[in-house]
Amino acid sequence: MYAYDGLDRSLVRDRVDEFRDQVARRLAGSLSEEQFKPLRLMNGLYLQLHGYMLRVAIPYGVLSSAKLRALAHVARRWDRGYGHFTTRQNLQFHWVKLSETPDILAYLAEHDLHAIQTSGNCIRNTTTDPFAGAARDEADDPRVWCEVIRQWSTLHPEFSYLPRKFKIAVTASAKDRAAIKAHDIGLRLGRDAEGRLVFEVLVGGGLGRTPHIGALVKKDLPADRLLSFLTAILRVYNREGRRDNLYKARIKILVSELGLAAFAEKVEQEWAALDPTEIDILGTELARIRGQFALAKLDPRPAVSRGFEAARTREDFARFARNNIAPHKVQGYGIVTISLKGIGDTPGDCTADQMEAIADLAESYSQSEIRVTHAQNLVLPNVALDDALALFEGLRAIGLASANINLASDIIACPGLDYCALANARAIPIAQAIARRFEDPIFEEAVGELQVKISGCINACGHHHLGHIGILGVDKKGEEYYQLTLGGSGAEDAAIGAVLGPAVAAGDVADAVEALARRYLEVRQPEERFLDTVRRLGPTPFKAAVYEHADTV
Amino acid sequence: MLILSEDGGVRAVEDRFTVLGDEEGAGRARPVILSRARFEADAERLWSEGFELGVRLAADDKVEDLAYDLPRLAVVALEFPKFRDGRAFTSAVLLRQRYGFLGEVRAVGDVLLDQAFAMVRCGFSAFETRASAADWARAIGRYAVVYQTSADGRQPAFLARATKS
Amino acid sequence: MTSGVRTDRATAVTANALGGGEVVFLASSSPSAWTARFEDAAIFDSDVAAEAALSAAAASDFKVVDAYLIALDNSAGVWTPLSLRERIRALGPTTEPQLGPQARGGRVVEALQAADSAARSSGRIRLIRRR
Ligand code: SF4
Repeated sequence: MYAYDGLDRSLVRDRVDEFRDQVARRLAGSLSEEQFKPLRLMNGLYLQLHGYMLRVAIPYGVLSSAKLRALAHVARRWDRGYGHFTTRQNLQFHWVKLSETPDILAYLAEHDLHAIQTSGNCIRNTTTDPFAGAARDEADDPRVWCEVIRQWSTLHPEFSYLPRKFKIAVTASAKDRAAIKAHDIGLRLGRDAEGRLVFEVLVGGGLGRTPHIGALVKKDLPADRLLSFLTAILRVYNREGRRDNLYKARIKILVSELGLAAFAEKVEQEWAALDPTEIDILGTELARIRGQFALAKLDPRPAVSRGFEAARTREDFARFARNNIAPHKVQGYGIVTISLKGIGDTPGDCTADQMEAIADLAESYSQSEIRVTHAQNLVLPNVALDDALALFEGLRAIGLASANINLASDIIACPGLDYCALANARAIPIAQAIARRFEDPIFEEAVGELQVKISGCINACGHHHLGHIGILGVDKKGEEYYQLTLGGSGAEDAAIGAVLGPAVAAGDVADAVEALARRYLEVRQPEERFLDTVRRLGPTPFKAAVYEHADTV
Repeated sequence: MLILSEDGGVRAVEDRFTVLGDEEGAGRARPVILSRARFEADAERLWSEGFELGVRLAADDKVEDLAYDLPRLAVVALEFPKFRDGRAFTSAVLLRQRYGFLGEVRAVGDVLLDQAFAMVRCGFSAFETRASAADWARAIGRYAVVYQTSADGRQPAFLARATKS
Repeated sequence: MTSGVRTDRATAVTANALGGGEVVFLASSSPSAWTARFEDAAIFDSDVAAEAALSAAAASDFKVVDAYLIALDNSAGVWTPLSLRERIRALGPTTEPQLGPQARGGRVVEALQAADSAARSSGRIRLIRRR
């Protein structure tokens, strides 16, 4: 994985000094809260319900064991012993003090970690496929390009005060595990007819109040022209994006107001006028970055792991292998997803002890590498199948062996009203109540792939629009209600879910989700996922399942 | 006072330019900054009378519209209506990189010390701010490393690495 | 909202501490003092009185961020914040009972938690109209 050199380190250290100075000026009263707020936000520091929250960047979701241990240390020393992995592949600490933040950031900087641009109206942490570099079906390692984007976008002088936040996601596989169509810019890396690396560039995806699926603005962009093309898009957006209305400031609104063709035309014009030699990545730099992501040598393994096959006669491990282990591009290896969604857990939460244990397991079994997924789970990307049982036992010992990846209890939930100042309603207790309905693994596996996503407000941090079942918290005269949507997807078949019917009360959401799952089991055809059935039949049978016993008030 | 940042040095100076209001009589020739409207109406006459001219652009004005006049302009003042409004950063970059403007690019309006670094990188050279020259110099010099080429001509990390190896 | 005439409504003043971020309330003990304990919060019988106290507190050495007024309710015989959001601020996350002010327990904390579950408990699915 990418290792900082002296130049990368220097920038992060200078940033800590700058923020230390800004915090001192704020505490002394020479910066007002209004002036300070955008500055602290650009350093990932929010003020939420119970206090300050620090969002630490995990560039494209890639962590080393050493970094994860550093995060565990921060959790223990400066927070309350845990952290929360987010749908942006970042980590949030919910209990930090402003006065201690400079020390936290200085400590993180020693471990090549930072909170730069995890908030604010700038280019945020680029996200990617958590299986990058290990997936069988990828055209190239997308982390290489994420690192290229990271450097280009860090403290970009022209694009630090955009109309609104700006999110970029990259994938290099046909199977989209990075939800690229739900980002301001989605990049799909592939090869053209001559075998050259090219990007498909999608613009204007996003969730929130007016969800949009990203639209294609450029096919076959030569990969080495990526940065100048991004510059052209950002420049058009910085100049023309709306600044009069917070809810119309994202690039999706600009694209839809101009029309895709007119927007693309402006971008092409700007791109043609740019001097690419000033911006585009140099071949030597690209090679340097690429070299850092080269897979450390994985010992050749037999196609069939005898230990693995034997272990699979155990029901619990067999279930784990079925649901949590994906094929690796190297024979005899697997990609293991660690679920942070045990029944009754807070989705995405991880204690300091667990972080340290995972760091140890990664060191033993996955070349010290860990990934964070946008579904708020962790991944050990390079696990020999021979080691899978030992890893499983190690995970069980720390309560993280849930075999539920992509199943109904693998729920995405934002922090909601338990933490977030913008929330209408809680998300975590709803997720917990739903997960309990799927506690029986036989029932849960019978239902199969079912993505439930919960947001505590219309900002959609829980990606509810993309849930096969989406759940949105709304405030009804001070009471928590939840609007259900059906049929969303964040994958290559991306779609925005459609509202099912009237919102339901907090105590009834789990009933509703269970009713939807049971109705699916009644009406599905063989091989059909929940989402496929919804698409085939439309909402009517599902609506009936939820509302047939409902009292109308 | 006006802060100038030129050739790596930062100093506070008395502003040579005065703002000439849209309705004000022109008076004797001197360095003045005009609104865009007055500039369009009056620039040729004022130039012919020996005025040194600057123009102040609102955040939504396009620098492209000045292309023809740039060689004769001493100052382009770009307005930050709120410090959060970052359009002037792009305007400055275009003035320097696309039009090769060599005069003064001035930041006016809500000019925040914490944006000094980005402003200088984008090609601003003068700042109407209450911050001291010392604070301004410190803010500008904050980062030893930058990742991108911009209008200030600083060598970005990727070029530094290429020349080192 | 003016509440001077009602005995079941009152107002408190809340904020977050600037340096530490913790939830604080203007205290009943002395003017301009802030407290992290909701049970020690000053209860004002009008918004006007609360706002006056807030202005006076601006001179305090203890700096806060985003101060605002919250409505209180006394239907259970104890003053509690009317909104769920404010009850969660006064208590801590409902999913982490060992964290936040709720960890210390006590009569007022229990009253806040009871108000919380009262708002949550609802029987069968109740429907609201979408706009
Ligand atoms: S969706 Fe709303 S409630 Fe949830 S974290 Fe985002 S802003 Fe907060």
